[in-house]
Amino acid sequence: MSALLSVERLEAGYEPGLSIVRGASIHADKGEIVVILGPNGAGKSSLIKAIAGLVPVSGGRVVLAGEDITAVPAHLKIRKGLAFVPQTENVFTLMSVEENLRVAAGVFGDRQVAAHIEEMFALFPDLARQRRLMAGSLSGGQRQMLACARALIVKPGVLMLDEPSAGLSPKFVEQVFARLVEIRASGVTIVLVEQNARAALAIGDRAYVLVEGREAHEGPARSLWDDPLIAELYLGHRKEGAA
Amino acid sequence: MSLQFLLDGLISGAMIGLGAIGVTLTYSILRFSNFAHGDLMAWGAYAALVAVGALGAIAGGPMAIGALSFGLPLILSTLFAMVFTAGLALLLDWLLFARLRARGQAIIVVMASFGASMALRNLLEFLFSSSPAYYSRALQVAQPIGSGIRITPDQVALLVMTAALVTGMHLFLTRSQRGREMRAYSQNPALARVTGIDVARVVRATWVIGAALAAAAGVMVGTLVQIRPLMGLDLLLPMFAAAILGGIGSVPGAVLAGLIIGLSEAAAVMFVGAEWRAAVAFVILMSVLLVKPTGLFGVTER
Repeated sequence: MSALLSVERLEAGYEPGLSIVRGASIHADKGEIVVILGPNGAGKSSLIKAIAGLVPVSGGRVVLAGEDITAVPAHLKIRKGLAFVPQTENVFTLMSVEENLRVAAGVFGDRQVAAHIEEMFALFPDLARQRRLMAGSLSGGQRQMLACARALIVKPGVLMLDEPSAGLSPKFVEQVFARLVEIRASGVTIVLVEQNARAALAIGDRAYVLVEGREAHEGPARSLWDDPLIAELYLGHRKEGAA
Repeated sequence: MSLQFLLDGLISGAMIGLGAIGVTLTYSILRFSNFAHGDLMAWGAYAALVAVGALGAIAGGPMAIGALSFGLPLILSTLFAMVFTAGLALLLDWLLFARLRARGQAIIVVMASFGASMALRNLLEFLFSSSPAYYSRALQVAQPIGSGIRITPDQVALLVMTAALVTGMHLFLTRSQRGREMRAYSQNPALARVTGIDVARVVRATWVIGAALAAAAGVMVGTLVQIRPLMGLDLLLPMFAAAILGGIGSVPGAVLAGLIIGLSEAAAVMFVGAEWRAAVAFVILMSVLLVKPTGLFGVTER
């Protein structure tokens, strides 16, 4: 099966000549949950931001459904079907929950905005109850749900998330990840950058370990978790399971 | 004691508030203090002066409506001035600000706006001289409305225009997709981009709206006071004070703060002395920055 999202030898960084992503290659097939793990400073967030168009790319390419989208500006990537949920500041805090969804649903002049918003409220019932509330007053877990709904409302083929578990209590992490499994079940491919290796590998199909800006290991999620060397070096746990 | 100063303050506050909308939008969306904003106001006033002269010549007079000093020619000329000034702002952005913004250093853009301000102002003096000009030389009789307050028909009409423009602007920002995009971009540019919001479109809308409202404020000043190349510069400090007092990015805040500053200036003239008028905006600006930098309606980002 050819990959839905394919990243080939990507080089990217904020300053010219100072690459943070150094030749990373990853791919995600349709309906997969692909997890990107790695130590701090490995370039995980920069890789996903470069794919989204927020970090300048200096080499390599990003191919989505057979189309090279490397040079497509960030605001047009979502039109191609590539959605991104940043780690922090991922909702418009001074807008209501409903306005967050409305502004996202309306960017392409779609006339079915109200219907799309109701679809998202059906998918995330907690948000429906808080539709008039300012997004800035939501709890961390609810913000993540809103951020996901904001990204999903335009029905992307690929949803990329940068550490959705960051700053959340274990209960909310469980809820967010359970929701990601449901989103995948609806046919959306998920690329997940995570520090919380245990939670991410539990729902992931395949995983990459990124080291110094490029993938050092790739394999089925379960086998990476079970690999003692990788677990100890990069994932912050020993094979025996002691954290 | 005459309460006339309250009306005078309200009128000058409306002019300041209308101009401050552009300042607050430019600051919150384009992330720089545009010191040329006052000169866009002056260019708007002069554009309307040229248009009203041409239309008046064709119509054979100002075609005054009722007790007003102006008629259809000035109304059409105001619309022309709003379009012209919006075009001028877009040209200025394309020629100057967009190129400097791309370098990512806000202070360079601010300094460039000082230069643009001087160039625009001197060009106006060169084209029209520094002598004051007027849309109409018709005398207006102020009508008493009680409590010792008198108001002219022009003042009533222009206050109604201000209220309509501010209400329209508020509805645009809260009810339209483009308005929501502008608010979204001002809150979080990176998130706006990945949400699919076209930055170039937001930037264009910001210039068009800010400049068009500046032109309307310029015509208001020109109608009620006089038209001079320095008219925008004189209002620059009060406009910045209003934008900051209202809370950067808040349109209702800018308008309310404009009214507060207008009323404070008028009160200073009444109770302290006319020479202190110019100091009022400065005192308010410094006090807000020291005590509550987020202003009346500004919110600290969470």
